[in-house]
Amino acid sequence: MKKLFVSALIATMFVSTLAACSSNNEPSGSASAPASSAASSEKPSEPAKADPTGFSISMRTLNVSYVEQHPDINKDKYVLELEKMTNTDLDIRLIPHNEYQDKMVQMFATNDIPDVVQGSGGISGNELAGAVPNGVFLPLNDLLKEHGQNLLKFIPQEAWARMTDSKTGNIYGIPEILSNPSRRATWIRTDLLEKTGKPVPKTVEETIDVLRAFKELGVEQPYAGRKNFKYADTFFGSYDVLGYLNSFKQFPDGKVKPSFFDAEAMKKALLAYKAMYDEGLISKEFATVESADFKSIVTSGKAGMWSMNANELPIWGAQLMANVPGAKVALIPSPVGDDGKGGYGHYNPVTRSYFINVKAKDKAAEIVKFFDWMVGEQAELFFSYGIEGEDYQTDGSNVQYVAPTDEEGTNKQRYLNYWLWMVQDTTYNKRIADLSEPGKMMVDAFDNMLSKEGRRGIEFEPRLEALVKYPDLNPLSDQLPPLVLEHVLKMVYGKEPIDNYEKVLEEYLSKGGNEVIEEATARYNDKDNAFE
Amino acid sequence: MWKYRTLYLISIPGIVYFLVFKYVPLLGSVIAFQNYNLFAGFGGSPWVGFEHFERMFSHYDFLRILKNTLLLGAYDILFAFTAPIVLALLLNEVRLTLYKKLIQTIVYAPHFLSWVIISGIFVGMLSPSSGIANVILGWFGIDPIYFLGEDSYIRAILVGSGLWRDVGWGTIIYLAALTGINPELYEASEIDGAGRWKQTLKITLPALLPVITVLFLLKIGDFMDYGFERVFVFQNPLNIQNSEILDTYIYKAGLKQLQYSYATAIGLFKSVVGLILLVMANSLSRKATGESLY
Repeated sequence: MKKLFVSALIATMFVSTLAACSSNNEPSGSASAPASSAASSEKPSEPAKADPTGFSISMRTLNVSYVEQHPDINKDKYVLELEKMTNTDLDIRLIPHNEYQDKMVQMFATNDIPDVVQGSGGISGNELAGAVPNGVFLPLNDLLKEHGQNLLKFIPQEAWARMTDSKTGNIYGIPEILSNPSRRATWIRTDLLEKTGKPVPKTVEETIDVLRAFKELGVEQPYAGRKNFKYADTFFGSYDVLGYLNSFKQFPDGKVKPSFFDAEAMKKALLAYKAMYDEGLISKEFATVESADFKSIVTSGKAGMWSMNANELPIWGAQLMANVPGAKVALIPSPVGDDGKGGYGHYNPVTRSYFINVKAKDKAAEIVKFFDWMVGEQAELFFSYGIEGEDYQTDGSNVQYVAPTDEEGTNKQRYLNYWLWMVQDTTYNKRIADLSEPGKMMVDAFDNMLSKEGRRGIEFEPRLEALVKYPDLNPLSDQLPPLVLEHVLKMVYGKEPIDNYEKVLEEYLSKGGNEVIEEATARYNDKDNAFE
Repeated sequence: MWKYRTLYLISIPGIVYFLVFKYVPLLGSVIAFQNYNLFAGFGGSPWVGFEHFERMFSHYDFLRILKNTLLLGAYDILFAFTAPIVLALLLNEVRLTLYKKLIQTIVYAPHFLSWVIISGIFVGMLSPSSGIANVILGWFGIDPIYFLGEDSYIRAILVGSGLWRDVGWGTIIYLAALTGINPELYEASEIDGAGRWKQTLKITLPALLPVITVLFLLKIGDFMDYGFERVFVFQNPLNIQNSEILDTYIYKAGLKQLQYSYATAIGLFKSVVGLILLVMANSLSRKATGESLY
């Protein structure tokens, strides 16, 4: 009995120490790599290859349901096929989408860093927790010259610039790119527009007229508003006062300031929103509309006009038409302001990025080859359609592929097109888009309309020290800084006069804004990691 | 010692648990006095003394955030702490067992909902266009009110939603204590001519007092920890003036910006205030009622 007690006790202590020392970083995939799964299946047509290169890679799930519902992504047939094609043996560690930053920081803090780390954007994103300056990752310049020629050709210079430490010239990561950073579009219900008998609106005034006509038709929400003006910033875009991280501008006085310092333009935008609020063209309670409500408002046919990512056109469009018989939707040029331009905040040209751990030095060449393969012809076919002979047929030149319509099929396609294809131009998948009418419309909108609109200015990466120090002045990627947002929203709701906007700017300056502008101006003049 | 060896043995896992999971992490609080660098660890990060505390106290909104934190804490003790006691006493008077069980189940249920769901329910109920609250106001000819778009209602909504969620859950421990009261006491008091009200006042409440005191003291210890999520899900720029509390500020200024030292400093400040309050309340209650935690 006593013996039993003692051994139980030792076991308890052992377990609790283990639990304390191990990281509580639990990716939903299994941590044990299937060692022999890839090696055992070689193509008979090829001579025996060297052993596959095994490496671990952390990847965010990105809300892709195929990935999140998979019992073990490392045993997925497409992952196995990818391993076969590239002669690798991947150990994918999934990072939950909603806890991405926390889990990444945990990963670095516990020093449980995989061979390849997936970031989202440049070398100084918060999710990397300062890993690059702390020497966690390998500089890739020589490896890319030797094994990554296709990557160097495919990826534009401005994307490489985001992956480069401007002081040393070292490239630290391989970026996935967005050749067209103008992602968001103005959507309109063309069936309702026909009923009003008005042409497609071009200016802000014309747009508000159309919204009024929608109201008369009995449309519940002529313009779909949303909390914090997220995806409801159309008119801030028209007047170029978005004030996001990439919207700094050089003002006539030579200083670099956030774009909302153009007080006259901001007041025009606010007057437009206030008129919409007063006349009921935007929901009176848009300040509490969350993203899920927003989607249901749009897809249930309650809205006449809204802003959304253009690549949702095939999906949202289909849902809307299923719910509202006779509904038609189109992407139109965004309303233009005084300078004849409009549009939404541009995205970062780098979407996901891949960093190689210093400790994986001996595998680094093979890892670079793996990513180099991603931008080739074979990869394009595989990630667009799937496995040859199973998902699609080909006679060498023509491809026969039936686009899926059921949920399971579309989930799988999204997983291949968007998630597993790690390095690509992720603006849209041309091969898939060409298969359907809405897809062709979307491509047309991206290539001929969105590429000509959108707002961008100067961006600093790593972000300004002053913005980290004063969180109230720190804009999110697509929201005004909290301090400005609070006042602007109150002005639209009529709780504060719009004429007070200069006072808001004064407040901004007095609460740390002077430091922000000083630092921005200095960095812009020194060309210190400032991107235009 | 040797005589009670088995007792000591079975207490070891508990002691180890507290050492490993409660006391060792406490040492991590030193990063409040450093500029913590994730990769250097707290062995290699530079010491900066009280810099982060100075930054917190000199923040232009510090007093407002502290005021919100204290006010919400005070309201919570005033309403959310007393409500379960009242509810338990009321339930205790219900004679029909089936009915009592039914009521209990209904009031427990919300405790198992997440704050995200609760905020969804409340935002829906308080909506000026479709919310039930404004429909009822409409019967009295009152114009719809945008409850969540005002600074003035937000504290009531925060306390109210917490009350709704946890009031039933809070009654469990009181109901357990009530079953332990000797029924002979009630019989004796009836013979002396005491009614239900007198009985509650002279027997039930004194019997509950030890439990109430202990729970109250624990609550005082958490005075500054109102909870991040329950506030965050209701926040928007129209009500932030009255709803920004230390917990939400830590999230925005510290965790999201990777300012771990700053976040820890604010957290430490909260804990120290909580500890001081607890010690004071404990000695007060020992003098006043004879009941205390230690």
